[in-house]
Amino acid sequence: MQSTEFAYDPGRYGLPTRQELIEHRIWDTHYHGLMGGGGMAQHRAMMFYVERMGIERVISLDIGRGVRSESGGPGRPPAPSQPERERADQEELELLQRERDRVSGIIRINPTYPEESCAMMDKWIRHGPCIGIKYGASGAVKCSHPNNDPIIGLARELKAMIYIHTFMVVGGTPRVPGGGSRGAESHPADVAILARRFPDVPMICGHSGGDWELGARAIRACENVYFEFSGSDPHSSEVDYAVNELGADRIVWGGHGPSRSFATELSKAFDADLSRADRMKVLGGNYRRLAAPMFRQKGQPIAI
Amino acid sequence: MKSIDRRSFLKGSLLTAAAAAFPASLAVAAAPAAPQPAPSPSAEPEIIDTNVNLFHWPYRRLKYDDTRALVAKLRRHRIAQAWAGSFEALLHKNVSGVNARLAEECRANGGGMLLPFGTVNPAWPDWEEDLRRCQDVHRMPGIRLYPGYQHCGFENPEFARLLQMAGDRGMIVQIAGEMEEPRVHHPNLALRDMDLTALAAALKAAPHTKVHLVHFAPLIFISGGQVSQKARETIRNETGAFFDISRLEGNGILGRVLGVDEPLGPAAVGRLPLERILFASHAPYFPVEASVMRLFESPLSQPQMLAVMQGNARRLLASARRA
Repeated sequence: MQSTEFAYDPGRYGLPTRQELIEHRIWDTHYHGLMGGGGMAQHRAMMFYVERMGIERVISLDIGRGVRSESGGPGRPPAPSQPERERADQEELELLQRERDRVSGIIRINPTYPEESCAMMDKWIRHGPCIGIKYGASGAVKCSHPNNDPIIGLARELKAMIYIHTFMVVGGTPRVPGGGSRGAESHPADVAILARRFPDVPMICGHSGGDWELGARAIRACENVYFEFSGSDPHSSEVDYAVNELGADRIVWGGHGPSRSFATELSKAFDADLSRADRMKVLGGNYRRLAAPMFRQKGQPIAI
Repeated sequence: MKSIDRRSFLKGSLLTAAAAAFPASLAVAAAPAAPQPAPSPSAEPEIIDTNVNLFHWPYRRLKYDDTRALVAKLRRHRIAQAWAGSFEALLHKNVSGVNARLAEECRANGGGMLLPFGTVNPAWPDWEEDLRRCQDVHRMPGIRLYPGYQHCGFENPEFARLLQMAGDRGMIVQIAGEMEEPRVHHPNLALRDMDLTALAAALKAAPHTKVHLVHFAPLIFISGGQVSQKARETIRNETGAFFDISRLEGNGILGRVLGVDEPLGPAAVGRLPLERILFASHAPYFPVEASVMRLFESPLSQPQMLAVMQGNARRLLASARRA
């Protein structure tokens, strides 16, 4: 079956048709098609679903394999050798050039190593095709640590997008939201601390902090912080709640494939009682507004 | 490929299946109260949703926790019948009251589309009477268990006895997996782990009982460990348990577990037989859109979609014997 063929009409099931999805101009700002061992073959397979679900652009979060601690370690694939890294880097550069009309990339930095992180930003953003950075959960320090200041300062200079993985896993003794998070896993409260130090720098609080009810409250007062929902189960009315607390202009959408389905992630936005204009902001408009200066710098102006 | 139009579906599924499974009085009660819309010219089949819950989620208000609002929402997504449990079943001790309110709510506000699935807690005294009332008083086609909340392990002999008794009565037994992602549980909530090895043994010991593992995907497909891997394979390969799609996760995952020629290839979690997969939304906790859209994300054929949308559920419901 072709990616654009459907056995039945989705429009008859209270869903947007593929054409309507296309018209929403959806940008998947959390694309893991290059993550793990799948590489380019996985990316090519993922494009079937990107096409099928009418996604206009994906932002890969896995360009460059991160700084040194991002690879290897318990439970992770072994760190690549230098020739392997160089070969993979070249493939990704070629991908970002070849598919620049639908694929963009950001790189993983690690505030445990601020100098190396900034060097990566120079290589991949200042002198390369990437448009921003991602904070993961690896390393030894959270995004609120002073180590982050040179990284955010450079991001401001470059007009780079900033995505911060956050998740408050319940746990610990006594059990509290966030008490079960990994050592360097930031919480929305960490994002708020960072955002207050850089009030003129927009940044995205990823995964809605896991617990969106508490996450939105933590960043509510920081108007330079945006809120993204991918990578967790779909909860009815979570986007309604966030729009009510933060405004539709501060919500960003991500798909988190291939580990999450577009069905899961799109349902969060289409469950919400939004005007078409606001839904378009959530599904791509807000990110485009933030990223427009960077795209202009790259010689690729975009319509917001 | 032949599909079923709305009128045929309503006549064939809602009325015939309900009438076959229940006494005439409930068949009347379950029949649509409002005039039915005209047949659909495009003949898209309607959906049977095998997992919704009524009343209030204990930890926050949900947008569609009013039954009439939920029914209207389900109808917007072409769902013509929904099997309804009760959020009250998670924490209430007066199970009899929970089930009576569920039955009455389905009758009064279900718009003719809600089939009540009461609960039984085999860890509590005289659960047999609750089971009897579910069928003899409330005319329920099955029951829904919430083992994480009800603190009755699958190794408990009473659980095995409940499976046997429900099977003897011809009732469907729905066993709910995680109701909510554990990472975001309220910190005061401490749920019992589920022993899949014990579950597999219990299911094998009651082969005549129709079991649906509701919202169960992470336990069946993802949890690690050699023992649970064997248990998962036992449940999939050596029992007739039904599964549903509400927690199948990943791009194109429905097609991938069905063995459809998907670009991402077979699911690492292995295959499931098409005839044992049901549609379920887990509404109102999950958006209804999530499961409906999941049907379309994979390049399924019409027969495959029809089986998941309604065919398998109709067959399961029809297997519930007349009381």
